[in-house]
Amino acid sequence: MNKRLDKVRWWEYLGFGGVFMAVLCLCVCVGSVNIPLSETVTVISNALLRQPQPEGLAPAIILTVRLPRVLCVALTGAALSLAGAAMQGLLKNPLADGSTLGVSSGAALGAVIAIAFGLNFSAVPFAGTMIMAILFALGSLLIILGLAYKLDYSLATNTIILIGVIYSMFVSSAMSVIVTFAADKVQQITFWTMGSLQGSSYENAAVLAAVLLVCGGVLLASAQELNAFAVGEDNARHIGVNVRRTKLVVLITVSVLIGVCVSIGGTIAFVGLVTPHMVRMIVGPNHRRLLPSSLFGGAVFLLLADLVARILLNPQELPIGVVTSLVGAVVFVFIFYNTRKGQ
Amino acid sequence: MNVLKQKIAVLLLAALLLTCLCGCGGETPAGDNSDAAVTVTDMMGREVTLDEPATKIVALTASVCEILYALDAGDTLVGRGEYCNYPAEVLEVTSVQSGYDTNIEQIIALQPQVLLMADMAQDDAQIAQLEAAGIKVVVCDAQNIAEVYDSIKLIGELVGKQDKASAVVADMQATFDEVAQNAADNSDKTVYFEVSPLQYGLWTAGADTFMNEICAMLGAKNCFDDVSGWAEISEEQVLQRNPDYIVTITMYFGDGPTPQEEILSRAGWQNVTAVKNGAILSLQNDELSRPAPRLAEGARLLHDFLLGAE
Repeated sequence: MNKRLDKVRWWEYLGFGGVFMAVLCLCVCVGSVNIPLSETVTVISNALLRQPQPEGLAPAIILTVRLPRVLCVALTGAALSLAGAAMQGLLKNPLADGSTLGVSSGAALGAVIAIAFGLNFSAVPFAGTMIMAILFALGSLLIILGLAYKLDYSLATNTIILIGVIYSMFVSSAMSVIVTFAADKVQQITFWTMGSLQGSSYENAAVLAAVLLVCGGVLLASAQELNAFAVGEDNARHIGVNVRRTKLVVLITVSVLIGVCVSIGGTIAFVGLVTPHMVRMIVGPNHRRLLPSSLFGGAVFLLLADLVARILLNPQELPIGVVTSLVGAVVFVFIFYNTRKGQ
Repeated sequence: MNVLKQKIAVLLLAALLLTCLCGCGGETPAGDNSDAAVTVTDMMGREVTLDEPATKIVALTASVCEILYALDAGDTLVGRGEYCNYPAEVLEVTSVQSGYDTNIEQIIALQPQVLLMADMAQDDAQIAQLEAAGIKVVVCDAQNIAEVYDSIKLIGELVGKQDKASAVVADMQATFDEVAQNAADNSDKTVYFEVSPLQYGLWTAGADTFMNEICAMLGAKNCFDDVSGWAEISEEQVLQRNPDYIVTITMYFGDGPTPQEEILSRAGWQNVTAVKNGAILSLQNDELSRPAPRLAEGARLLHDFLLGAE
């Protein structure tokens, strides 16, 4: 392995950061309602300098609708993509993702239960949904890992993925059952399942940022162990990696990330699956390069997908999951085809 | 997995919307004698003949149940779709799974003479199964108020209550005529109909919905009459279109903020005219979304709201 390619170089960070900032600005400036660039700049600079805002629609749209949403989208994309990259490395499986593990479905089940039975904690609207999603993401993880331990003490990759897939199916049926019992809530549940980042607030963004800071830090610190896993679990064990502990740390971190993302934006398909592959094509498979780059890659990918969702059918919106699935599936087949052809 | 889920969600939504929007309609040939055979042509143009007016009916759509009760024929119901919830008595009727997973076996077990349903997930094979079991299938789907009248008359024929059906239709027409008289007073008012709250993505009722039709009848303008049917729309657009009135049909389950409070508390909405004036109407009972006689009640509520909430 080329020694110099062991981490992301400063100019690469600059490049990724530049692309990310450019896309972020684009997403703030472009939207369903056309606001001139100069006005956008005025509104944002006034907000930063605490100057009074101009009259009209622009401040409300930019500051309370577009900016928090764009921030949430970027953070969600980064979190899902990082989670996907870590899972793929840990399980040595290119198809690993929050959904393969069953954590996304688990989180969604928690949210659906909260909606169906009207669980509300305190007076904060929708807090019940978020708490239940996080609890169920963690609960799902415990069930999956507990089962995997019983079956196979070394937590072999295949066992986890198999249990994850079966668990997802089980959860889907459980959701159908709940929908049947809570027929009067079917409307809410359906809308929730479609996933939406509309109505994101700065509080949502702050929660995402805090979680990403902690969990991202843990995952980035595990990059070297993940490299060892990528060669093979036995290899990792032989060079002195605490295999079980690393697995536990990564899996728990990933499920917290996914649980929070699902509770805020619903289940958004393919981001965690596809972006790490795209990023890997650019920076290579070394996790010390891949993980930080995935943060940028996921954010940019989801920002662009959300932009398409927002403006393609204006004034209508597409559910963001539809866009990521459409783009993601095509890109995925393309990557898969090319990789196979090369062999 | 997620793609599949997305698909299921879309199908579910489609089924849901159909459940809400579809009812019964069609041609009603003459035949006033309630002792004789009844022949009707349903919405799909299928001719259905019964030996006598129906006394055992399974209705899969909420609107048909409402129509039956409005015709004092609620006692003919032996089964109902799971989402039928009005009037309260209907909840005592055996519930069958409707929509995408319509349970044919359950319906056959109830031995109705007629199955009233909307044109949705049922395929020819399922209809053939029902007909083989001796159950007449009447497919119907009212998309506008005129078709609602047709559907009421059609169901009146089926249960031998033509006179009552005509009276119900005349009642509705009278209410609509009455509220439409003040249309000129509403000519510069815009209304935004909200179907789902912000948290789940904003959905509105555009053109080709009952809300839009009644809004136009009252002389006001639906903010989103440029989109078709129920659609997810951009929050930015709502702010830009700045509706004078907001009507939400989001359900309230008794805890947390009410739909009005939730809208009033939205960040960035405080300059929307309707929010500034507190002109928000919350409809909790599907008055404006079901092709049933209660549309008249919904029209009156909207009329009073537009003229009273200034």
